[in-house]
Amino acid sequence: MNANDSRQTESGTESKKPLISMKNVSLAYGNFRALTDVSVDFYQGELVGLVGDNGAGKTTLIRIISGIITPTAGEVYFDGQKVTKFHPKQAIDLGLECIQQSIGICDNLSVSRNYFLGREPVKRILGLPFLDKKKMRETSAKVVHDFGLRDTVDVEDEIALLSGGEKQTFKIARAVTFRNRVIIMDEPTNHLSVRERAHVNDLAVQLKEQGLLVIYITHDIFQIHRIADRIVIMENGRKVTDVPRAAMSAEALEGIIRDGGRMPAKKGAAA
Amino acid sequence: MRRQLGQLLRKHPEGGTITMVVLISITFAVLTQGNWLSLGNLQSLAQLTAVLAIMSFGEAMVIATGEIDISVGSVSGVCALTFLGLAPVAGSLVALVAALAVGMLIGMMNGVFVAVIGTPSLLATLGSLFLFQGIGYAATSGFSFTATKAVRQQFTYNLFGGGDFCQVNTGVIWVLLSLVVLHLLTFATPLGNRILAVGGDWASSFSRGIKVNRIKFGVLVLSGILAAFSGVLDAAFIGYADGSFGATMELSSIAAAVLGGCHLAGGRISLLGTLLGAFMLRGIQSFLVLLGVQPQWYILVAGLIVVLASLADRSLGRFALGTARGK
Repeated sequence: MNANDSRQTESGTESKKPLISMKNVSLAYGNFRALTDVSVDFYQGELVGLVGDNGAGKTTLIRIISGIITPTAGEVYFDGQKVTKFHPKQAIDLGLECIQQSIGICDNLSVSRNYFLGREPVKRILGLPFLDKKKMRETSAKVVHDFGLRDTVDVEDEIALLSGGEKQTFKIARAVTFRNRVIIMDEPTNHLSVRERAHVNDLAVQLKEQGLLVIYITHDIFQIHRIADRIVIMENGRKVTDVPRAAMSAEALEGIIRDGGRMPAKKGAAA
Repeated sequence: MRRQLGQLLRKHPEGGTITMVVLISITFAVLTQGNWLSLGNLQSLAQLTAVLAIMSFGEAMVIATGEIDISVGSVSGVCALTFLGLAPVAGSLVALVAALAVGMLIGMMNGVFVAVIGTPSLLATLGSLFLFQGIGYAATSGFSFTATKAVRQQFTYNLFGGGDFCQVNTGVIWVLLSLVVLHLLTFATPLGNRILAVGGDWASSFSRGIKVNRIKFGVLVLSGILAAFSGVLDAAFIGYADGSFGATMELSSIAAAVLGGCHLAGGRISLLGTLLGAFMLRGIQSFLVLLGVQPQWYILVAGLIVVLASLADRSLGRFALGTARGK
């Protein structure tokens, strides 16, 4: 039995339909192949660790899922429906929220305007849509302060004034407080202190327990091995491993990443 | 105190412009023994400012998204010719609508290049600048279009820049109305939030589901319409137009926006500031005229002021952010 087959039985998902299903997805920029023939399924109520070295294709994969880029080949299904048009608006409307490292915040806007960007609450005056600034202010203030931002943070102030860790906390707060089905976290613990990191990891587990699909991207196999239900390893734009947490130790998985996606030790052991 | 001043500047980037307008007005009034503040000069200033400001509002909206439109001068020229060319045969109202439609079409053309094809806006609108200036010269071939006596008596003609209301040119009504509408659009609507977001960080805006290309297309169309409107208001005031109508106005409109606190990099604009910026530039122009200086010097002085304003803008911005970080 190889690692791929064991996933189905051990995670008990064989009866469920995948929430997101990618079939033979490739992405090429000219001659450069960012993704090659990747097929992977993600299920509701699952915390999946997406692991791999720099340039392995993790971020490219989730950018396709979140509609930012369109694959050059292959198909993506969301809840059984084939995705025909890739745009972040589609993904957000389907309840998919992606917390990314480098994007997601407009530094020139206030905290409350960033919080509601793209889905601003509106009050109609003479039939015209005006921003409901009171609601924007109160809701965003409550959320960011619940998530532990300093009391001195004024949501009317520009978000550029927040520190790197605070911005990350803000993105997470924004992602989890809207009603969503999928939360993708791209290196969510970068720039965070030890305590903030533990907080983010607890949060990822809580979200999963609430029935959401959580895709957690990281370099740190030891960190993700503690919390994930399943680990997917990417290397050079290909999926090389897809196993339930219990099937392999963190050390063995780290060995796969170190060896550039080959599984000599594991294969030997299984045979 | 420092902190409050910083916060004030962060939220109201036109603060510096207001201070400069007051200082310039006092200086000019003193240096011209009060002539600069005479009723006649202020009336003329109001008309000149209105025309420049309406065009600059369009420029400011484009700048808000991080793009630039340098075709506005040519657009206003072609639309002024359209207006004066059609008014005697079809009436002022039809001519006005036609001129605005031409401005909208040119804006759409710019928009297709920038938002669909992906040409940098500087290049796309540089093309339009030359193209429509050329068309303007070709259409007039040395002659000028003049408003006939019958046209000058039409209500629409007077309502759109050709006449006065309470002793000021009717253009002033339109600039104030545009100011209110565009200010509310930019700062009080979801669309405005998205326009500013696109200029601040287009990739982040896109990831939040904003249709970035549609927004860029939209502001370029708006800029075309406002440039056309500005051309009509000025043509109606002057009563004639030739092929050079509107030439170099794009420079003044960019200068007005920058003086008014709009960041060329995008994401931060002030429409009130832009109006004041236009007033300042026109004020300098009229000051030089009153002093008897050759009008050509205006370009040099305007250039100097813009350079100084951009320096002041940087340091004010740093100060404003610095105080908030508690440094």
